[in-house]
Amino acid sequence: MTVPIVLVVSISLFLQGHNLPGGGFIGGVLTTAAFVLIYVAYNLDFLESGVLGREVETGTSIFEHRTVTAYRRMLLAGLVVVLGSGFGGMIIGDPFLTQGYVHLDGIPIYHEVELASALVFDLGVYLVVVGSLLTIVSVVSGE
Amino acid sequence: MAPDLTIVTTAVALPFVAAALSPLLYRVLGERTGYAGAVVAATSFGLLATGGNGYGTVGAPWVPALDVGIRFTVDGWGLLFALLASGIGVLVFVYSAEYMHGEEALARYYAALLAFMGSILGVALASDLVFVFLFWELTSLCSFVLIGHHTDDAESRYSARMAMVVTVGGGLCLLAGLLMLAAAARGALGGVTFDLTAMIANDEAMRASLRESGLFVPALGLIVAAAAAKSAQVPLHFWLPNAMVAPTPVSAFLHSATMVKVGVYFLGRVRPLLMSPEWVWLVATLGLLTMTVGALLAVAATDTKELLAYSTASHLGLMVAGFGLDIVYGGEAGAFHLLNHALFKAPLFLVAGIVAHEAGTRNLENLGGLWRELPITAAITGVTALSMAGIPPLNGFYSKELLFEATYEVAHEAGGLAWLYPAVATLASVLTVVYSVKFLALFFGERRAPTADVHRPPVALVGPPAVLAVAAVVVSVAPQLAVDAVVQGAVDATATGEARLEVGLPTHLSPPVAMSAVAVFGGAAAYPLRERLAAGVRRGVGAPIPVRPSGWYDWIVSTTEATSARFGPAVHNGLLRTYVGWVAAAGSLLALAGFAAAGGSLGIDGAGVPLAVAVVLGVATLAGVAVATAASHVSGVLTLSILGFMLAIFFILASAPDLALTQLVVETLVLLIFLLVLQRLPSFYSEVRPLAIARDAGVSVLVGAMAFVAVLSTIPGPDAAPTSVATYYTEQAVPGGGGTNVVNVILVDFRAFDTLGELLVVTIAAIAILVLVTMRTRGEVAETEAEEGPIPDGGDSP
Amino acid sequence: MSVALAVAVGGLFAVGTFLLLQRDLVRVVFGVAVVSQATFVYLIAMGGIDEGTQDLVPVLAVHGGGVPEIADPVVQALVLTAIVISFGTTALALVLSYRAYEENETMDVTEWTK
Repeated sequence: MTVPIVLVVSISLFLQGHNLPGGGFIGGVLTTAAFVLIYVAYNLDFLESGVLGREVETGTSIFEHRTVTAYRRMLLAGLVVVLGSGFGGMIIGDPFLTQGYVHLDGIPIYHEVELASALVFDLGVYLVVVGSLLTIVSVVSGE
Repeated sequence: MAPDLTIVTTAVALPFVAAALSPLLYRVLGERTGYAGAVVAATSFGLLATGGNGYGTVGAPWVPALDVGIRFTVDGWGLLFALLASGIGVLVFVYSAEYMHGEEALARYYAALLAFMGSILGVALASDLVFVFLFWELTSLCSFVLIGHHTDDAESRYSARMAMVVTVGGGLCLLAGLLMLAAAARGALGGVTFDLTAMIANDEAMRASLRESGLFVPALGLIVAAAAAKSAQVPLHFWLPNAMVAPTPVSAFLHSATMVKVGVYFLGRVRPLLMSPEWVWLVATLGLLTMTVGALLAVAATDTKELLAYSTASHLGLMVAGFGLDIVYGGEAGAFHLLNHALFKAPLFLVAGIVAHEAGTRNLENLGGLWRELPITAAITGVTALSMAGIPPLNGFYSKELLFEATYEVAHEAGGLAWLYPAVATLASVLTVVYSVKFLALFFGERRAPTADVHRPPVALVGPPAVLAVAAVVVSVAPQLAVDAVVQGAVDATATGEARLEVGLPTHLSPPVAMSAVAVFGGAAAYPLRERLAAGVRRGVGAPIPVRPSGWYDWIVSTTEATSARFGPAVHNGLLRTYVGWVAAAGSLLALAGFAAAGGSLGIDGAGVPLAVAVVLGVATLAGVAVATAASHVSGVLTLSILGFMLAIFFILASAPDLALTQLVVETLVLLIFLLVLQRLPSFYSEVRPLAIARDAGVSVLVGAMAFVAVLSTIPGPDAAPTSVATYYTEQAVPGGGGTNVVNVILVDFRAFDTLGELLVVTIAAIAILVLVTMRTRGEVAETEAEEGPIPDGGDSP
Repeated sequence: MSVALAVAVGGLFAVGTFLLLQRDLVRVVFGVAVVSQATFVYLIAMGGIDEGTQDLVPVLAVHGGGVPEIADPVVQALVLTAIVISFGTTALALVLSYRAYEENETMDVTEWTK
């Protein structure tokens, strides 16, 4: 029960990061904490069997473990997002990793929303932090 | 009309580019790489000879704040040296292509030779002190590679190292001297600059500034010491004969025409800047002493290349002496002899190479009457050896006559002890005649049986010395031609005043002419006595260490080796913690000494922080101590967590909510991961050794004290204004980044590139852990395979 | 100009160094962690510490307007990344120690053979 709450809090921290305390690093470590909570309470396979309802392949080494593979992919995706946000600006002629933002007015409910390209970069930070910290924890705990 | 920067830069850079490409060239051309090198040298020569378009300074800025720039000065002196280096370079490359036939490691040889030539061109033309030093040291490095060409020969390695130690040691002196010049230029020229040309242009202001700061004598001494090391002046002459283990083309190029002249060249360059009574006393005495000692040792030599090496030292002494004397003739003698010496000494070395190549020995005792087999070589030797002896009307005579004139005039004016100058110069010249004739005797006189059949040398071997001998004859017949072409410019650049060089055969008997006559006839008379002279010299050389400079060198090197062999195991025992201890203790002591030297006051004014912060930090520190004294791993981890959570509270009190959140979560993860790993590790290792604990505690207290002082002297006061960086980011957060959380805006917007780097660190840590844990078996398999196969160590194993 | 800060930083650095010099590898890893923590405190101290209040938090109230006096955001950004990185390095050091133990079967660095 606590895990979803932690996840929601961490994602909200990540999203509000540009304007309030929070951001990719903090959201990332908090998300990691949520998953680690599952490991401590159950075990590495619980995420698959209990949450996703999949069969767990037994006897594979930790390196081939499906969740670890997923974390590695997340790490990789994070790096791709970070670099992509960096090169994105270069297409319109800005230096590498230049960020920008736009204000959108007249949106229902929020009235005004600010879209910052830094959020994409921060998403990359988030993914890298979650991916690498979870890789570390799961590999160590899998031993 | 100023020279063109592109042309000059190309001429200097081309040999370096060719050096970088030479492994490729060698793969394509094989032993013909030598001819490619000759083309490179000829191109540089041609660019400098034709593209210069007059004298002047050109450059492009590099470090504008320090006024360091890629700056070249083309004047007569630099051009003379550069043209000599590239011109003789052409001939040496042609000669190498034949001489080095069948040798190993030719790609390295040509790369070093090309890089060496580029460095010489750089020294000759650079006007910026930083570049002068850089190229100066590059010549030493290339010379090291070339002398040590036969890497499997112990003598070759010993000699290469000796040359390296002496010349690079001299280079360090040069660096110190140049920095003193730069410091003086700050006062004299009104700003930081490394521009040597500007310093020379304002020589009086520079001298005044140097004297004022008391740096004149140290700077002079250091620069002269550097030049003496490079140009093999007494007592640092001993490396030059040892360097003769190098292949003969290297000896001809480096140790007659170029590298050893770098010192002389630089003395000529700074002569207008540093001319003073101290300069005359030091440099002229050094030069004349070397001239005599070198000539004596040359007379005693038994090996052709050894004879030429000592004779080179002696002639370098002549040039140094010329530059040392504060008189017009002195500078003229030095500048003109630089050309003449190159023209006669390089062919003599090449001849020595031909003799060694064709007759199979370098021993003077076993050689004689070779003119029958080697007539052309004999003719070349005749011209050049007599020129070396200073026999009129050959070119060596003119410059030696200028030195006689200079010493005579100085002595005539000063009187007293100054009469020693002409006397010593004449004595050295008598000896010069003796050893020149001794070398010539290789080809004449009775025939002594060579150990091998003597062959006719190929054209590629005879051609280069012949070209140089013809050049020497041209200068002999029409000296004024050479003077007008380039030597006058060199004389102007090195003179302290107006100088107009007029050379020609003497038409009436003057004291210098009489000195020349004494030298020639004295030499002829002394020639029969050479064996007794040589025996006397050898007794002197065999004397105990105090009078033998190479003995000092050996003593210093062996003592240093022995000391480091004893010292090494103490600080370098293979245990990382020993290294950490030494580095931490030494670093802290140095930092503390730095703080003490800076002498800032440590503002200790009460607690200075809110009470809550002080309490939290106090608990954190206590937790730290508890970690160190914990009785088990688990209790250590738990106390470590106390420390971490206290820091989270500290971050809250320091108005940093982002940090507090992150720290809380990370601390939880750390605790968890420690507990996960610790359950698989053995329990606490405890062996109480009071001595070791005391030692570790001592180092720790030093480090702690250093940190304590560093914090006190660096943190801002309570009322200090925020730093300009902080203010900038705060102001720009909303307009520039579009976010109100300044910390996050800095991370993802302003300093995104740094964040990217940090992400990479985390990624690498994760991948490393993954590999460490999951791939251990693969590594072991690979390891066993590697152990079974031949160990590919790249040839590094002893 | 705070002695309390200096004492804390100096003390933590001293403890960390002491731990780094131990023969027991786990304590060496403790040392790495303690030195990292000491560095955080030092970095924050470099930004200056005032009485912690809500006003000083480096989050601006509105878009635009004047710039209020806040705690130094630069050092906070530095420390934020440093915390995450120090977790990575501590974990790496720990796993390295574990693997070293597996290879050598001792935690005493002086008894290592490989």
